[in-house]
Amino acid sequence: MKLQYLFPNKYKKFGWILLIPSVIFGCMNLFLEYEPDFFDFNVPTIFVDKVFGNGHFFGLVENNIFNEILGVFVIISSLIVAFSREKLEDEYISKIRLESLVWAVYLNYAILIISFLFLFDMTFFWVMIFNMFTIILFFIIRFHWQIYSLKKASENEE
Amino acid sequence: MKNSIKVERAKKNMTQATLADLAKVSRQTINAMELGKYVPSTVLALRLAKIFEVEVSEIFMLEDVDWE
Repeated sequence: MKLQYLFPNKYKKFGWILLIPSVIFGCMNLFLEYEPDFFDFNVPTIFVDKVFGNGHFFGLVENNIFNEILGVFVIISSLIVAFSREKLEDEYISKIRLESLVWAVYLNYAILIISFLFLFDMTFFWVMIFNMFTIILFFIIRFHWQIYSLKKASENEE
Repeated sequence: MKNSIKVERAKKNMTQATLADLAKVSRQTINAMELGKYVPSTVLALRLAKIFEVEVSEIFMLEDVDWE
């Protein structure tokens, strides 16, 4: 029985190749504020928010689009890595997939609740930035860790 | 649920890898079933029975906890 909602296995490698540099550049962008000038553009927006005066719907704003590109790359590539079929995607792997997803959602929201209660202002804002990506990241780590340890366990048996 | 996959496998002189290939599942799945960590689907149970040339009920047995 083939699961229709997963990507083919061959996409997985491509996902990793895109994900790793995107995460590295993403961290550089966040922590070192690395924003090359040639990414400065006037871009269309749904809502123009003015610091003084009222905002209005639809318009152009000047923005460095480096972080937008990286954000989209990280999301798409991590989705591909997370939801590409394993070489042999059998029913047990599917079960581990589901378990890991539930586990990742729990962990993600546990961290969010703690941050809600005990972090404020900019610190909370920083957590929110990471929170956009952590749910899928937790899933990827947990799922691959489980597969890896099962592989190791079954190699010892004969 | 108990199962006798390991015993049936020994009777047929099969490794986990061979059985995994025949049943079209990963080796981890065979291992997890033998250790009682995973209960297979009906389809997989039927496949195993066919490979071992026995009835499903000869490989898989209910335990008291399965009624709880």
